[in-house]
Amino acid sequence: MSFKNNLKIIFAEFKKTVGIWRSYPILMVFWGIAPLLWVLPFVFQGKALVGGMSSAPFKALTGSANFLPFILIGTMVSTYIFSGLWGVGNSLREETYWGTLEYIIASPTNPVVILLGKTLAEFVLASVNVIFQALIATFFLGVNLTIAKIFPVMVIVLLLLIGFYGFAIAFAGFTLLIKEVHGYVHSLEWVFYLFSPIRYPVEVSSITKTLSALIPLTYALVAIRGIILMNQHIVNLWQTMIILIGMDIVLLIGGYLLFQYLERKTKQAGTISQY
Amino acid sequence: MNNAIEVKDVVKKFKRGRRLKKRDIFAVDNANFDIPEGELFGLLGPNGAGKTTLVRCLATLLIPDQGSIKIMGKDISTHSLQCRRQLGLLTSGERSLYWKLSGRDNLKFFAALYGLDGKERDMRIEYLMELLDLKDVQNERIEKYSSGMKQKISLARALLHDPKVLLLDEPTLGLDPQFSRFIRIFIKETLNKKERKTILLTTHYMDEADELCERIAFINRGKIVDIKTPYEYKRDLPHTEVLELRCSGIQNCDELLKQLQSLNTVEKTTSNTQDHVTNIKIILPRAEPILSDTIELVRKQGKILGINVEQPTLEDVFIYVTGTRLSEDTAEERPAPQD
Repeated sequence: MSFKNNLKIIFAEFKKTVGIWRSYPILMVFWGIAPLLWVLPFVFQGKALVGGMSSAPFKALTGSANFLPFILIGTMVSTYIFSGLWGVGNSLREETYWGTLEYIIASPTNPVVILLGKTLAEFVLASVNVIFQALIATFFLGVNLTIAKIFPVMVIVLLLLIGFYGFAIAFAGFTLLIKEVHGYVHSLEWVFYLFSPIRYPVEVSSITKTLSALIPLTYALVAIRGIILMNQHIVNLWQTMIILIGMDIVLLIGGYLLFQYLERKTKQAGTISQY
Repeated sequence: MNNAIEVKDVVKKFKRGRRLKKRDIFAVDNANFDIPEGELFGLLGPNGAGKTTLVRCLATLLIPDQGSIKIMGKDISTHSLQCRRQLGLLTSGERSLYWKLSGRDNLKFFAALYGLDGKERDMRIEYLMELLDLKDVQNERIEKYSSGMKQKISLARALLHDPKVLLLDEPTLGLDPQFSRFIRIFIKETLNKKERKTILLTTHYMDEADELCERIAFINRGKIVDIKTPYEYKRDLPHTEVLELRCSGIQNCDELLKQLQSLNTVEKTTSNTQDHVTNIKIILPRAEPILSDTIELVRKQGKILGINVEQPTLEDVFIYVTGTRLSEDTAEERPAPQD
């Protein structure tokens, strides 16, 4: 298939995925109100635990007493990566549910191209969610997110996502072989929650601080918080960008090769059509 | 004439059993056959015989452990993409489409996978919808289709890219007689006779294979047992009659079959019990000389509900050649020999 044809397949997959989503009205309702509901537990939790949005221990670790913007940024970025991990990693499982996986694998299209289409759909959905979250954070919760900051933030987010989707493609390969990956994705989700600064600064423990250096999300979150909360210029974040680009290359190539290997293993084991 | 499909010494084994007691099961055991371009070739065997495994190997969904497969002269292990472009696949069962999308949107998606788009795609879909009588329902969601309509859409998908070779795996399984008839006529008259497509059709319906196929390979327990035309199979059967008895109350069927087998000139005996009714088939040159002895033997064990003497069908030939009924399930019964 030519590059142009592959682009058309990615778009066809995107259209198909969105078409299926649209046929479940309750999903659309949920996604419509999810950005409003997502923030409230943090606000209530803050009030219950420290009587508001300010915390002295938090200030000692980060330099700022207000922890809500910190958590909101962590949550917005993690929305992107977890939706990718669930959506892309589990997408071939969904094809076995429809019974269409065999027909995709038997076609001249590389299944990775299909996964890229799923990635696009998940990215768009996550973006819609994050835009709503960002609007709520900006207008109601005091996060200083100006237009000028959006471009550098998106650059960091994209650098994070490229590698992450490579990782998700490898996960899709595992789904082909072992069918059930919910346990693995959940475990991974909690590894990220535990060892990267999504909800708290990793400086709280020397273990979390050390292990967080292995997770790309850590670098992205530090950079994005630097841009939004400390008005850092993207040029000053070149070291973070180089680390993310390096991780992207490793994760993309590694993810692709692992997927190819796992697809071949599945064809040898004869389990492609198994549900 | 060139071969459209060449299968040479193909072996596919699967591991079965629990961790420490895993053993190899031969799903396909040294399969060999060629199908010339334009032929409608049948693969006939009971459930679990290895038909679907063989089709999946041909469709590049499974990698054989040994042997080679060529599609239109290209080896699938080295030219899998070119081979896939030449292949159209249809499997049995309703679950192979996006039920939440319309028939037309399903076809549009799968067309993209074969590099079809724009006017070319729309014209092809239009043509197939017309051909398969689906125009009126093309914009309805698949979930509203009947089983037969879903199978028609699946057939349209297999034909989207106008492939030279079609792999049809039990295409009429579970369909009502009206849709089965339509699909059979479509396969024979339109796809094979008019469009000259090479078709590999798997089935366990002997009348379907008999009606449609130019040649038929009997497959049993993973092995291709024989390949002939339906006429040759029947002609070469060294007997001419099948004595069928419908009985009830048979306590020891194996013993009864042994006794019947010992009667003069009896070639083969098989039985099948459902809902306390046992159907016994006796294959032999002439039924009349042993009729009274047979009745006497059966009456010792139970009651005779009906007797029939018929000319052999392909099913009788299959029983004669393999000793297995087409309705039997033979999966998990063929462990690989120990090294």
